[in-house]
Amino acid sequence: MIRKPGWMKRIFFDVEDYHKTMTSPERYNRFRRTLFLVMTATFLIPLILTTMLSYYAYRSQMLTNLRWNAESAKRTIEAFLTELQTVLAYTANEHTYEELVDQDKLNKLYHRLKSHYPGLVDLGIIDHEGIQRAYAGPFDLLGKDYSDRKCFKVVSSSKTFIGSVEMGYRKVPHFAIAVSFFNTDAGQNWVFRTSIDVTTLDKYIDKISTGALSDIFLVSRNGDAPLLQSSSLQYGPPLSPYPFELPDNRIGITITEDRGVWDYVVLKAVSYIEGTPWALVLLKHGYLYGKDWSFFKARLFFIVMISTILALLVILRITGLFVSRIREADEKRETMLAEVEHTSKLASIGRLAAGVAHEINNPLAIISAKTGLIMDLLELSEDFKYKAKISSEIHGTSDAVERCKVITHRLLGFARRMDVTLESININSLMREVLGFLDKEALYRGIHVDMNLGESLPIIESDRGQLQQIFLNLINNAIDAIDTDGRVTISTKLRDKNSIQVDVIDNGKGIPQEIISHIFEPFFTTKDSGAKRGTGLGLFITYGIIKKLGGQISVRSSVGVGTTFSVILPTKISLSGRAYDVESEGFVS
Amino acid sequence: MSKVKVLLVDDEVEFATTLAERLNIRGFETTACFCTEDALALIHAKDIPDVVLLDLKMPRMDGMETLKEIKKYNPTIEVIMLTGHGAGVPLSAVGSEKHGAFDCVMKPADINELTSKINQAMVKRQNAINKGEGE
Repeated sequence: MIRKPGWMKRIFFDVEDYHKTMTSPERYNRFRRTLFLVMTATFLIPLILTTMLSYYAYRSQMLTNLRWNAESAKRTIEAFLTELQTVLAYTANEHTYEELVDQDKLNKLYHRLKSHYPGLVDLGIIDHEGIQRAYAGPFDLLGKDYSDRKCFKVVSSSKTFIGSVEMGYRKVPHFAIAVSFFNTDAGQNWVFRTSIDVTTLDKYIDKISTGALSDIFLVSRNGDAPLLQSSSLQYGPPLSPYPFELPDNRIGITITEDRGVWDYVVLKAVSYIEGTPWALVLLKHGYLYGKDWSFFKARLFFIVMISTILALLVILRITGLFVSRIREADEKRETMLAEVEHTSKLASIGRLAAGVAHEINNPLAIISAKTGLIMDLLELSEDFKYKAKISSEIHGTSDAVERCKVITHRLLGFARRMDVTLESININSLMREVLGFLDKEALYRGIHVDMNLGESLPIIESDRGQLQQIFLNLINNAIDAIDTDGRVTISTKLRDKNSIQVDVIDNGKGIPQEIISHIFEPFFTTKDSGAKRGTGLGLFITYGIIKKLGGQISVRSSVGVGTTFSVILPTKISLSGRAYDVESEGFVS
Repeated sequence: MSKVKVLLVDDEVEFATTLAERLNIRGFETTACFCTEDALALIHAKDIPDVVLLDLKMPRMDGMETLKEIKKYNPTIEVIMLTGHGAGVPLSAVGSEKHGAFDCVMKPADINELTSKINQAMVKRQNAINKGEGE
């Protein structure tokens, strides 16, 4: 035999324990729990996996969108800055150094450029020593020394420069764009420089921001503390500190997940803008109040919750139904087993009793014949001393033999082979006939008999003689159960399309619960005294005949209230279902 | 009036002799045989009984076969079957009716019932003889 592992035994009850605990409610509760858990897991695991997949697929889509937004914004800003650098370079190439250091000409140029680029704050020409030789703009910066400024140092070596946003000499946030040129006449470098108002940058960034983004701004790593280069909805105006480190990787777009200023989880995309100290930062508050995300999340949560609740209810109902069906089937099987056992027991007892009766019958016949002969001889003989006594004794013997004869005849009558003779029978007519045999007995005993016969009952196919025997016996028992002035009710009704039911109801003394299971056993009788002494075979034989006719008999009784015998008969008898056919047992003699 | 001749065939010797004696007391001329072969031999020897009381279950040749033999030999001989099986067994139940048995009586038989049936059988035989059947 294959032994199940312990864990499996805990989940599914062992077959060996099955019969031990067959009727235990705990077994079914355990089975119900197990089934519920297994079905719930079977449902929830795929649901959770699907939900997780959906979640990550959606998140991945969101990251892709963010990356695309960052890429697009970066290119736009780079294009803007390139345009500014190109304008500077073009303007410088169109003029000589001497023309540009001419203040009047520079002012004219400044105003012309300003009309195209309103964010242009000023223009300046710085010589090779870092001194601003010409200046056009709202501030007084002519002659300022830039030699130690980063702008001048970087542009001298790399030709172009875009600076971080700073206050500088102007005391307003701006950033510088500078281009370095070589004066061939003087053989020296000079720098053409312009400042752009940071509000211009803000306006430009505002234009490229979309509703899909929560925030977009520029950050510059200024030493260890990154500073905002444009306005941020979350972190404030330009030059406010930016609380996060910028990634070291300057190539491509870096996406991370951070907590924002209000402790909301944000997706953050950072991309460095080439040729500048800036990093473009895009934030997406997708997780809680980003419209799409929260809608998706709420919908996902709603679907999962509703599905789970519905599934749990269905599983609960199904497991309940399933287990109750199994329980019913078990109980039915138990009942059937008990019935089969009972039937088999009765059949065995019947066969045994019939065999014994047959064997006894022959010697009984001899005793009967001998006592009869003695009585005959006594009658023929003259009086002698003990004639009367002998006659009395031999009559007593004859009476005893007669009682034995009744018993053996009934037993043999039960066991003998009797072909079932089928005919069409109106059960109501049959009940009236049967009552015709007993109505005088009932009248004599002062018992009222009610007939409650169903209308339009189908004609059944059965054996008339045997049905008469059944109901004679049951009605006789009902009358015997009542001392006097009782009531016997006989009712017939259609049980279903294949069977009818006959109830014989009395309001007699009833049968105690402890003996009701024995009443169909042979030689069991409660009529144990007086002239009505029973053989204990009536119900036993009745039971056998009903089974032979394919029917069922049941009894309900309550002491002091009465007894109801219910006989269910099929409308069509199945001969293969006959319970007792003793021909094959060899009891016919 | 001559006595009714009864042939009682039963392998239970005690039962057969006692019953024969009781019938004789009641005015019948009863012969008891304890096997079917003896009974048939007796009939073939022209000792024709009026009524045969025949046990259904007998060793070697059972009552049913014997009944057929008797009826084949002389259909006016009335045969009452004796059986140890079933109260008030109808003839159809033991299958003897179609072979011409007059009736079937359950053992142990009530002597009055038995004599009554013998007399009825005798009446039937007499009627048959008068109509010229057999013999």
